[in-house]
This record gives sequence, structure tokens and C-alpha cells, in this order.
Amino acid sequence: MSAATLIAREEWRVLARNRAGLIASALLVLLILVASFTSLERRSAIEADRERYQTSTDETFDAQPDRHPHRMVHYGQFVFRPIAPLAFFDAGVDSFTGNTIFLEGHRQNSANFAEARQSSLLLRFGQLTPAFVLQTLAPLLIIFLAFASVARENERATLKLMLSQGVSGRSVMAGKLLGHGAIALGVGLPAFAVLIAFAATGAAEWASVALMILGYAAWLLLWAALGVVVSALAGRPRDALAILIGLWMVIVILLPRALPEAASAQSQLATKIETEIALHRDLLEIGDSHDPDDPYFNDFRDQVLARYGVETVEELPVQYAGLVSIEGERLTTQIYADAADRQIASESEQNAFVHAFSIVSPLIAIRQVSMALAGSDPAAHYDFLDQAENFRYDFVQRLNRMQAELLPGIEGEDPRISAAYWQQIPRFAYDTRDPLARPQSLLWPFAVLLGWLAVLAGLAFIAARRIGKSAR
Amino acid sequence: MLDDTGAAIAIEGLHHSYGSNAVLRGLDLTVRRGEIYALLGGNGAGKSTTLSALLGFLAPEAGTVRVCGIDPVSDPRAARAAMAYVPENVSLYEHLSARENIGYFLALAEAKRGEDAIENSLSAVGLAPEAWDKRMSGFSKGMRQKVAIALALARDVPVLLLDEPTSGLDPRAVLEFNRLLDAAREREVAVLMVTHDIVSAVDIADRIGFLGQGRIEEEREASATGPRFDLNALHDRYAYAGAAA
Repeated sequence: MSAATLIAREEWRVLARNRAGLIASALLVLLILVASFTSLERRSAIEADRERYQTSTDETFDAQPDRHPHRMVHYGQFVFRPIAPLAFFDAGVDSFTGNTIFLEGHRQNSANFAEARQSSLLLRFGQLTPAFVLQTLAPLLIIFLAFASVARENERATLKLMLSQGVSGRSVMAGKLLGHGAIALGVGLPAFAVLIAFAATGAAEWASVALMILGYAAWLLLWAALGVVVSALAGRPRDALAILIGLWMVIVILLPRALPEAASAQSQLATKIETEIALHRDLLEIGDSHDPDDPYFNDFRDQVLARYGVETVEELPVQYAGLVSIEGERLTTQIYADAADRQIASESEQNAFVHAFSIVSPLIAIRQVSMALAGSDPAAHYDFLDQAENFRYDFVQRLNRMQAELLPGIEGEDPRISAAYWQQIPRFAYDTRDPLARPQSLLWPFAVLLGWLAVLAGLAFIAARRIGKSAR
Repeated sequence: MLDDTGAAIAIEGLHHSYGSNAVLRGLDLTVRRGEIYALLGGNGAGKSTTLSALLGFLAPEAGTVRVCGIDPVSDPRAARAAMAYVPENVSLYEHLSARENIGYFLALAEAKRGEDAIENSLSAVGLAPEAWDKRMSGFSKGMRQKVAIALALARDVPVLLLDEPTSGLDPRAVLEFNRLLDAAREREVAVLMVTHDIVSAVDIADRIGFLGQGRIEEEREASATGPRFDLNALHDRYAYAGAAA
């Protein structure tokens, strides 16, 4: 057995005989399991609620009596976003973005009923998910187990004794890294087992699960390597612990919270009121279809009359108001779409600013990987908004076409069409986004994690050379 | 395993400085097989630096160092395989027993020794058998020192480097330790002992060297007849050297 393997085994024996370390490790494992099962339970409950609400709103929609189609445009529809399978592991931004949209004519509504807006303050500081435990708490445990790995050997002269047996500094570092790397992976093992079990049921894609495990393995190994390297370079255990706790606070607590604030300051988003005012202004510029002197709609009317080869709107074979609704919806939708694109572009700019700093805070990188693969990142939210908006536009325009095409054949002052027409309109079915559809979005965060590991390997090499010298 | 002069340890013209502080200034020192050499010197005289040079932890600025003919800087692995080292105030691993500590360090040294060899060495240093399998967290300083010495004995190598080996040992344990060194001498082991314990040095050493001004200032050899050394004269010499340092 090589010296490195012997030293690694000794680190495991240290842990096995360290009651405090064992209890802390057992608690963390328990926390991961509890977080996994409560998250799965919460996901099932939310999914059941979502299905119940969707069925209820669909039934209510279908139960509407014969009506004027435009009334159904304003009656609208609620659509719910299904939770991505792996979102139980990492809730990502789901808790903040909302999962329900009311779809109606003439306007785009934002998603509502975000969990964080309805829940306790505690939720805003981090939902208890396996991702939260692995991202925030696991590094603390790994630090606690690794901070003294080399420094204590140095302090107690066992390092010198070890070297005097013919062991090289490189073997010492390799053994410590191997030992604590394996311990770190052991800490993540219950979470990995839950992910594998989840994939085995067919609920999640194996590729996503494999990449998720790979990402978290790199994250945990990074902390093990950081713990050992700082322990070797700091010299004294208490110095190593102070440095590592400081690094944890900066990397895990401070930067991931401060950077979004900095991003907001650098690229400010319009407030809801500002957005509403801008939209209102743009909508006013379209024109007023009820104004006989409105140049745009006068022109539109002339084009319609020319297309049908008639002189007046009364001679049209379709209802002119229905055609105006179709055109009005097209125009307002374009304005809303442009505003949404600007909003997404600004948010993406902020996200890009934060992601660039993952070089100094790899937590940002593992969050990116985790949320993207869990389907709970901003891109998944935008995808839901996009699909919901496409559905809304199609739904409203179908009703507008019904108004234009069916109403001219109906007599009376209160013309109505059969409810059977809108009962035939397809219901919203969210096509869950494939997390691996844009693999390039994972390249940067993975590169950051691997870059950190490479830098730490370089520092470990330097520390190995210093070990021989410090043993004087 | 020996150099041309037959010395297991051979240091010639060794210079070493820490920054502007020249610690060793032309140190010459030889220890032959079957010889116990006690190196005395005041604090900062360079005793530990000498041991570090022998272990290959530092490269000499000038001069040569050989352990059994091997340069410990160019081939530290081979040199360290030929010597066992007992640091001062070593605490070993508190979560391991004495037996496990020795087994672990022997494995690191790739020294394949059976349980018998470990028990013999523990027995030789006078550690009670009921303590062999107890965790060292409850051991006294003297007991820890005995385990470290037992490890050095279990290595069964031609050179022993001892840094203040009797520090923390009670008088009886010092006597037992001296008997162990006697046995080592009979096995042709070369022992270099860095110590402040002049009494122990007088009892066991074949030669005593006074380290001062970065070199051996004076060397005395044990008399074959009568008292081995003149303790009073040595004490005065040592006190003088300490004052000078």
C-alpha cells in the first residue's frame, strides 16, 4: 500500500474515532435525507394542488354558458406551471418567480403566487432542499473535518516524524487530499443516492442526474482540497480554521448575496409602475379603434374593405369589430413582447454579471449547474412565460376569429355562440424544458469548478514542496 | 552502508544559515557504527539544524553530509530508510494506541515488521503491556517518549538520531533508556544524541562533542579505565559553552 493510501486511511480512522466529527457528519447526512424527503413530499403536494386547480379552472371555463366570444377573451384562463422533476432537489428561483399566470386578452400578466411572497421570512433565506444543504452546510462540515489535517501534524511534530520515515511531502499532500476528498464525497453520497433512485424510477433523465452528481462532486471536492491546502499553508490549526471560515463566509454567504445587489445597481430594472406607464404610453400610440379619425385604424379599415371588395364595414361577410380585435391583439402583443424581451435582456445582463464572478465564488457556479439541471433556473421560468404567452395569443386570436367569422350569422342585439366552440380550444400543456437543450450554458460553471480544482491542485503542489522545508 | 572512513554519520565542513544568522560554520562530525555520540550545545547552537541536515530537510550551503554513505539531500528516501529519528516532544497520534502508532509509522517507512517486533520494542522501552492497546491521549509525556523510542527501535536501522531523548523521562526510565542504547551499540547501531542532559550523556556516550560557534569546539572520549568522563569538568565546560552561546 502506498504512503498516500496509508495516510488517507489514517484520515478516515481519525474521523471514525472522532465523536464530534461523527455526530456532525451523521447530522448532515440526516439533514440531506430529511431535506430530500420533505422536498419530494412538498413537490408532490404542490403538483397535486396544481393539477386540482388546473382541472377546476378548466371545468369552470368549459362550464361557461353560450356567450359573446369577446366576453370569453376577458374571462380568460389560469394556467399553472408544472414543477420540473428535479426541482425537488433544487427549488432554484421557482419560489420567487411564481408558477401561475392568468391569461386574458389585450395584456400579458406576470406570474403570480410565488411561494416566497406567501410564506414565512425563513423561506427567503433558503428552503431546506438537498441543494441548500450541499451548497451551504456541507462545506462547513468539510472545513471542520479538514482544517487540522496537515496543520496539526506540523504542530505536534508528527509531520516531521512522518517525513523522517521516508515519506515525501507530495505523498503527505496526496494522502490528505485523497482522505478528505473521499470523506467529502461520502458526505454527498446520500444526496447522490436519492438522485440515482429518483432517476431509476424514470422521473428524471439519467444525463441530468449524472451531470448534477458530477457538479456537486466537484463542489464538495473543491472544499476538501481547500481545507487541506489551507491547513498545509497556514501552519497552525487555529489559523487554518480562521482562514477557512472566512473563505466560507465570503464564498458562500457574502458574495452570492452582495453580487446581485451590485448587478442591480449596475443594470437597473424598471419598476412595475414604470413598466406599466411605459406600456400604457406605447399602447396609446397604437391608436384608438373607436376613434373615426384615428389614422392607423382608418387605414386598417380601408385595407380590409379593399381586401373584401366592399365599400362599407356593414357589407363585410365578417364582423369588422372581430377583425379589429384580431389586429389590436396582434399590436398589443407585440408591445408586450418587446417589453418582456427588454425585461429579460436586463435580467439576463444582471445574471451574466453575477455569473462572471463565479470565478471568485464557485457557489455561483454550482448554483448555475444545479438550477439549470433541476429545471428551476431563470431560463426555465422564461420558457414557461414564453409558452404561456404563445398559448395566450393563440387562445385569444381563436376567440377573436370566432367573433369575426361566426357572429355575422347570428341575429339579435346580444349575439352569442355556443359554448361548444371554446370547449374545443386546446388546453395549455406545458412542454417541460429539457435542461440539456442548451448544454453550452453549463460549460462556464463547470469550467469554473474545474478551474478551482486545478488551481487548488497547483497550490497543493506548492504546499507539498513547502512541507519538506517547514519540517526543519 | 559505510563511507570510506567507516563512519555511519559523516559531516564535513557543513555551513548553514537562517537568513543572516550563520548557525553552522564548518561543522565536522563523524559517528561510527556501534558508537554513541552525545552532541551538547546551548540553545540556538545548531543541534537541531544538524539533525535536519542529516534528515535531508535542508540543503547545506557548503560541506557534505552522508548517512551510511548516502547524501540525504540528493536521495532522502534512501538516507531516511537507513535512520530512525525521535523528535523532541513528539506527541504521536492521540486517537491511536501505542501499538497502532508504531504499526502505522512502520508501514509508512515500508518496514515490514511483525506484531512480535512491535511488542518487543514496546517491552524494551519499559512500557507496561496493559498500555500497549490504550489510546495515547491518556499517556504521560514520558510514556509518549517511550513509544517514540520504541518506534525507532522497531525500525531496526543502522543509525539512530535522537533529539533530547530523555526529556520527560523519569530517572528510572532514563536508566532503562540507557540500557536500550547499550543494546543498540552492541548491534553496531550508530547513535547521535542531541541533548541537554549531561548526566545521561556521561552515563552512555562514547564521545561527547560541544557545539559552539557553529562547529565542534571540543570533543571528549570516554575513558576505558576509571570514570568514563569527568562530570564536573564537563559541567563547567558545558556551562561555559552555554554562556558563550
